Amino acid sequence: MRKIGITTTVPVEVIYAAGCIPVDINNIFITGEHPQQKVEAAEIAGYPRNVCGWIKGLYTTILEEKDIREVIAVTQGDCTNTHALMETLELQGVKTIPFAFPFDRDKDLLRLQIEKLMAYFEVDWEQVLIVKKRLDAIRKKVWEIDRLTWEENRVSGFDNHLFQVNCSDFKGEPESFDREISQFLERACHAPELKQDVRLGFIGVPPIISGLYHYLESIGARVVFNEIQRQFTMPFETDDLVEQYRLYTYPYHVLNRIEDIKREIKRRNLDGLIHYTQSFCFRQIEDLIFRQELDVPILTLEGDKPAQLDARSKMRIDAFVEMLRWNK
Amino acid sequence: MICGLDLGSRNVKIALMEGNELKGTYIYDTMQFYRAYARKQEGKLVVDFKRLGLPPAEKVVSTGYGRLTVEVAGAAVIPEIKAHVLGAVYQTGRKDFTLIDLGGQDSKVIQVKNGKVADFMTNDKCAASSGRYLENMAAVLGIDLEELSKHYERPVELNSTCAVFGETELIGKIVEGYSIPSLAAGVNYTIFKRILPMVKKMGNKVIVFTGGVAYNEALKNIMEKELNVEVLVPALPQFNGALGCCIYGGES
Repeated sequence: MRKIGITTTVPVEVIYAAGCIPVDINNIFITGEHPQQKVEAAEIAGYPRNVCGWIKGLYTTILEEKDIREVIAVTQGDCTNTHALMETLELQGVKTIPFAFPFDRDKDLLRLQIEKLMAYFEVDWEQVLIVKKRLDAIRKKVWEIDRLTWEENRVSGFDNHLFQVNCSDFKGEPESFDREISQFLERACHAPELKQDVRLGFIGVPPIISGLYHYLESIGARVVFNEIQRQFTMPFETDDLVEQYRLYTYPYHVLNRIEDIKREIKRRNLDGLIHYTQSFCFRQIEDLIFRQELDVPILTLEGDKPAQLDARSKMRIDAFVEMLRWNK
Repeated sequence: MICGLDLGSRNVKIALMEGNELKGTYIYDTMQFYRAYARKQEGKLVVDFKRLGLPPAEKVVSTGYGRLTVEVAGAAVIPEIKAHVLGAVYQTGRKDFTLIDLGGQDSKVIQVKNGKVADFMTNDKCAASSGRYLENMAAVLGIDLEELSKHYERPVELNSTCAVFGETELIGKIVEGYSIPSLAAGVNYTIFKRILPMVKKMGNKVIVFTGGVAYNEALKNIMEKELNVEVLVPALPQFNGALGCCIYGGES
């Protein structure tokens, strides 16, 4: 079956409706063997050192995945490095399909973008909405994993991250992903209650570094809110596909994200937030907005290349968790 | 007797306290300390206190950069931020201040309210605002740290964000004929500009300045002048973390 690469969440219903398989390149890059080498390979090809590690990893991964020859390029609503990523991929013979999330969440413009995507894949609304129904049922189960994380304290921060992040492409096989979720839920419902006393939110893009969630839990803190990962599950009930991708906060103005984060801080009773950004990312600028707008302590954590959580970050995390506990 | 151990990137600092009374302070080069006075045993660092010439302590509390890579055998471990806040409250008697701790590689700015940490920021991927930078620049200028720390007037403008390129830039300024005092003042201002965004975010009317860099009087003057705030440098700025460890050991 035709595989379509995606580099961020897009209306995946359209791809499935066309009988194609979406592949979130981020996930295969970071879970593959030697992700660090993929970043280095992109640098050897000419990508600058001071550019986001995700972009470099995506570049090499796409070139290595020979059965992915078409990639959806999100030209607005993700990151501007994507432009150069797509240009350099085209140079290597990869076809790019442009898609833009309008910055102001304009419904008509978004509808037009989705319909252009549908025209490319030669599908109609009826086919797309059938897929939406199927995927929504799976999404609802992942919402339950999220609820079990923050309300019943039975799911770890990492499992919460993993199941939610996989909702960008449903691992290319919605049916088997659905079964995996059901099996997990069966176990999670009866899992013993987790006892960490410091409740954290993780805001920002999924981390390129590994070991963060486990380290936090080892020192008595737990992530009970993964902001962007949760957005990948489209956590809002609507039958309207355009509205669904309009409510999705990530690609638009940061103030929409702030509204969502504020609501969840309260609902989930969070003690503090970790704002994760990539080195050299424009989102580092947005850190000042979060610090100004959100009334909880924030630790800004910066990841560069794929690696285990380093000693300096651990030191900063220790101090942050200790501070939250001290002030409780 | 309580022994506070601050394992820094450049120096290991030790403080000994009996009750609330300071009994002694000791400082060692980090590399020499690990080579001569400590050995790893079953994954933990065993410190040879006898060889260090220190009296036996009932309790050892450690902190510092090394604590994650080398856990000291038999010691309680506390995060650096906590150690420094406890030390600063002990040394100054103040409870509300902004603590600026500039060490060998670390820069920390901590907002302290009612004796507790309210917020903090640290340098992350870059150590250009640290003591190591000052050492390198003093070496380029051919002066010692004491001389470097005298100058804050008529600073030359240094723009490099990288500590290594900063050396090249400084050499260029030497060639242009700037005086040593101006060059030294420029170096000191560079540190100030680096920490300014963090200080602004943690703003307070009183600054407590600690860490080895706090011996740099020029930097204290620059902060007072530019921020228009009271800057307190406690008696033992470099031992602040080690003292905080002792305080923690006494309280727990």
